Amino acid sequence: MKPFDYFSPKTLSEASEVLSKYNDDARMIAGGTDLLLKMKAGRLAPKAIINIKRIPDLRGLTFNSHLTLGALTTLEEIKQSPIIRQYYPALSSAAATMASVQIRNLATVGGNMCNAAPSADLAPILIALNATAVINGAKGERRVLLEEFFTAPGKSVLGVGELLISLEVPKQEGKSIYLKHSPREHMDIAVVGVGIACRGFNPLTQVRIILGAVAPIPLRAKKAEEEVMGGSLTKERIERAAKIAAEEARPIDDVRGSVWYRRKIVEVMVKRGLTGLVNGN
Amino acid sequence: MVIGQRIPKLDAPDKATGRTVYGHDVKLPGMLHGRILYSQYASAKIKRVDVSRALKLPGVKAILTAADNPPTKFGYGKDNTPIKGDVVRSFRDEVAAVAAVDADTAAEALDLIEIEYEPLTPLFDVRQAMKDSAPLIHPERKSNLFQKYKYSHGDIVEGERESDVVVEADFELPYVAHAAMETSVVIASFDHRDHLTLYSTTQIPFLLQRDLAEALGIEGNDIRIIQTAIGGAFGRGLDIYPYEPIAALLARKAGKPVRISFSRHEEFLAAPMRQPALIHARAGAKRDGKITFRDAYALLDVGAYISWGSVTPLVMMETTASLYRVPHVKFEADCVYTNNLITGAVRGYGNPQSTFYTETLMERLAVALNMDPVDFRLRNANIPNEEMPQGLIITSCGLKECIEAVAARADVGSQRSEVGSQKDSRISNQKSEINNQKLKRGIGFASTLNVGGGARIYKSDGCGATVKVDDFGHVSLITGSTEIGQGSETILAQIVAEVLGVKVEDINVLNSDTDVKPWDVGVHASRTTFIAGNAAHIAAMDARKQLFETASELLKAEPESLVTRDGKIFVNDSDRSADLAKVARSRHYREGGKVILGEGWYDPPTKMVDKDTYKGNISATYGFGTQMAEVEVDTETGKVRVLRLVCANDVGRAINPMAVEGQIEGGAQMGLGYALTEELIVKEGRVMNPDFLDYRLFTSADMPQIESIIIETDDPQGPFGAKGVGEMGGTPTAAAIANAIHDATGVWLTQLPMTPERVLRALEEAKK
Ligand SMILES: Cc1cc2nc3c(=O)[nH]c(=O)nc-3n(C[C@H](O)[C@H](O)[C@H](O)COP(=O)(O)OP(=O)(O)OC[C@H]3O[C@@H](n4cnc5c(N)ncnc54)[C@H](O)[C@@H]3O)c2cc1C
Repeated sequence: MKPFDYFSPKTLSEASEVLSKYNDDARMIAGGTDLLLKMKAGRLAPKAIINIKRIPDLRGLTFNSHLTLGALTTLEEIKQSPIIRQYYPALSSAAATMASVQIRNLATVGGNMCNAAPSADLAPILIALNATAVINGAKGERRVLLEEFFTAPGKSVLGVGELLISLEVPKQEGKSIYLKHSPREHMDIAVVGVGIACRGFNPLTQVRIILGAVAPIPLRAKKAEEEVMGGSLTKERIERAAKIAAEEARPIDDVRGSVWYRRKIVEVMVKRGLTGLVNGN
Repeated sequence: MVIGQRIPKLDAPDKATGRTVYGHDVKLPGMLHGRILYSQYASAKIKRVDVSRALKLPGVKAILTAADNPPTKFGYGKDNTPIKGDVVRSFRDEVAAVAAVDADTAAEALDLIEIEYEPLTPLFDVRQAMKDSAPLIHPERKSNLFQKYKYSHGDIVEGERESDVVVEADFELPYVAHAAMETSVVIASFDHRDHLTLYSTTQIPFLLQRDLAEALGIEGNDIRIIQTAIGGAFGRGLDIYPYEPIAALLARKAGKPVRISFSRHEEFLAAPMRQPALIHARAGAKRDGKITFRDAYALLDVGAYISWGSVTPLVMMETTASLYRVPHVKFEADCVYTNNLITGAVRGYGNPQSTFYTETLMERLAVALNMDPVDFRLRNANIPNEEMPQGLIITSCGLKECIEAVAARADVGSQRSEVGSQKDSRISNQKSEINNQKLKRGIGFASTLNVGGGARIYKSDGCGATVKVDDFGHVSLITGSTEIGQGSETILAQIVAEVLGVKVEDINVLNSDTDVKPWDVGVHASRTTFIAGNAAHIAAMDARKQLFETASELLKAEPESLVTRDGKIFVNDSDRSADLAKVARSRHYREGGKVILGEGWYDPPTKMVDKDTYKGNISATYGFGTQMAEVEVDTETGKVRVLRLVCANDVGRAINPMAVEGQIEGGAQMGLGYALTEELIVKEGRVMNPDFLDYRLFTSADMPQIESIIIETDDPQGPFGAKGVGEMGGTPTAAAIANAIHDATGVWLTQLPMTPERVLRALEEAKK
């Protein structure tokens, strides 16, 4: 690993200041479970590391009119939180599919978003739940729909000096589900991840189907959504929607799966997800 | 009785609590850190090497280039040099090395070394490399074909004529990594006499002494090898590899000790791999359920330099010719140079490959005959006390018992065809929730034959041992053998404890220094319990004889009437006794006194195979085993979950059942990975997944419930009847799983690992 400067700011403004000073050469560290791996592999050599774990504004998990997840909320907290389990069970079970308990105790939701891997497990479900990213920058706070947060693999709308403060997730009136396909039971990255949230039942009055790991950024399968909206939700329509979602996906061939296979799995996961929601589990 | 007890490994507490000193922990005074620069091309000429900028970097103490190479080539094929000079032949080729005050400085220096290449046309495909028109990987050899193996017994044409059914298939098997927890590490240090001490995780300390001497152009007696605690090896340490002479050359050039420790990425690139194989195999049987013939051809990629990957056909042919009783057999293999990775020895050594095709063909034959697969296997099983056509002399043999034992657990017949039924398994309903009818279950069987009494691949298959009893009654066993995590220290201590009547904890096992321990060929071929065990037994008996000699004076009894028990020597059937310490002191402190020093040397009564026919009894005894896998296949995603693995192994005698189970379960973990998830993906000579993210080992969460059944056949030559079990745990697993997938879905898989994508493709093709 190359040497670097290290900062541990206690406030947002201090953090922004250091970030701006180093321009694009500084990286924030939360759990470090993405960052350190890249640094050790030599794929990243920042001049400065900024520990954001001492900034109180980034902490906290609260629920009133909506759920607020501080960027430092760990995956294990999301998995365990009684509030999330009760009101956002799909979010809790998405976190449960991730990594191992040791990693989940370090890894944060902010890191999972800002690392912006196409396979990040929390992205599809949080987008399905229509979350908003709360961002702090030099010009103060701004809000961006999580659906519009990702721009390319490893890239988001965050500009120089900006950091993610929290995610706000609206109260849910319907049901949601997250399905992940990976070769191993645990400790594995999604070959395909599908997050679905819906409202109403026969007819569905609202549905959001988000596909992970099958495009440069989490992808909303809008045509598939249209297929199942309104009217009565039959097995045939679900199957059709699943096929459409597979066509909407834009996967690549890589060591984790071919284009052919990823489309197949999108189809199966969307079908299983919608069927699961309809059947109430 | 200490033999047969479930005794936890003696070295486990130190390992579990972090006290064990591994090579990565060793810091010698003034020690430098070495790093290796690898080639940018799979095949290229080196036009220019410029290290001047790197040399100027503060903290850099020595840089090695091909100019520093000793004149001789080394390795099994005598085709390798520490640093590559004129040409590079693979991405793992070492083109320079640096020693610096710390690892980061060494890494930085590598970035400053300039190398100019002229790319050549690389050869990645074994079939291409076999063609006459192919460029030569090593022009001094006339062909890329390094070695051809041809074995046969009986008459294959006759065998085919007798057959009522014939099955055949093509198989494709992947590169697999050892993935030992500890990465490769070596420390080289010269003393004032220019003697080299090498701290190493080698599995062959005495052969490495010789190999390294040759590579460095010095004498073997100038080299001392100290084995640090070994954090897994699995065959990785059975040959000399370039990083070892590189460390020594750097240490000499810098005048300081040098450590090279691999990163995980480097381990996946530069350590030897299990070699990939393309196999065509056929087999036949008669309607009465007797196998008639087996015929296999294996095309093996040995990589750019020869290591043990080129000798695995010896084991493949053993499975092909001698697992079950087959009258007519032909086996051929070609070992071919390419610009790919080096292939070497990995646990099972060719046997997982050959057992995969052999046992899936067995299943196909049973299906073709419409015969119960268990019944079919029983009809053809090896039997005790039979010389095989290949020359193997089978003495103890529990294959029939192994097959019957797993079949009893499988409840054959009643559950096999019941698809998707909710049988007892660890799977909770939560996983089976969606689309239950898409989940199909099946069971499959496979057996294995493995050397269990050494393997004479060198002229000597021996091992030496010394047992010392000191003035305090403390016992030391100095053994030539090596502990690589398999538990040999515990087993050998049990053997000595049994003979001397002391507690296992009272025995200290010393096994890590070539200047101290007697010769041993190395830790391979599941040989340590059998060979080193016999040597330790002989040494302990010798020590006991000396003790009895003196005790008979003290106790005024005949030596024949003495027995050892509870750290004492008793006169049989009486309470007259003397403790070991007293006996030892009495022998020692007198005029013309002696100390208790038992000696043992054991070399099994075996033969090297004939170099033309490949026949001969290579091992003093053979181990057998059978596994039954129960799987659940998600027919929409292709994902296979192993619900249960039942493993029965004939181990002769379980000196320590807990250790045997450890070997079986550990072997099964590797076998499961080979079957379903592990593959080093190599594209155009480059490793695409050099990390644990995409090189998927089976984790504890993936492991099925494993039932180990120990079959004891009391081997006539084994120490207390024991034979080897180190490799058998993983050899039949992939075949058992492939057979179970067939049972569940009707689809045959012939390519490993059976990833969800491959399974789904096979299912889709079957629909057409
Ligand atoms: C063994 C292992 C298993 C894993 N399994 C999974 C898995 O199953 N699914 C999955 O999706 N991921 C997985 N990961 C990846 C990783 O754990 C997650 O992405 C995790 O959520 C990252 O969080 P972190 O806090 O560790 O991020 P860090 O590594 O600290 O940061 C990641 C990136 O985000 C930036 N960053 C962090 N916080 C902020 C912020 N508040 N504002 C702006 N930028 C910020 C950092 O600068 C850095 O560039 C795994 C990783 C490992 C090592």
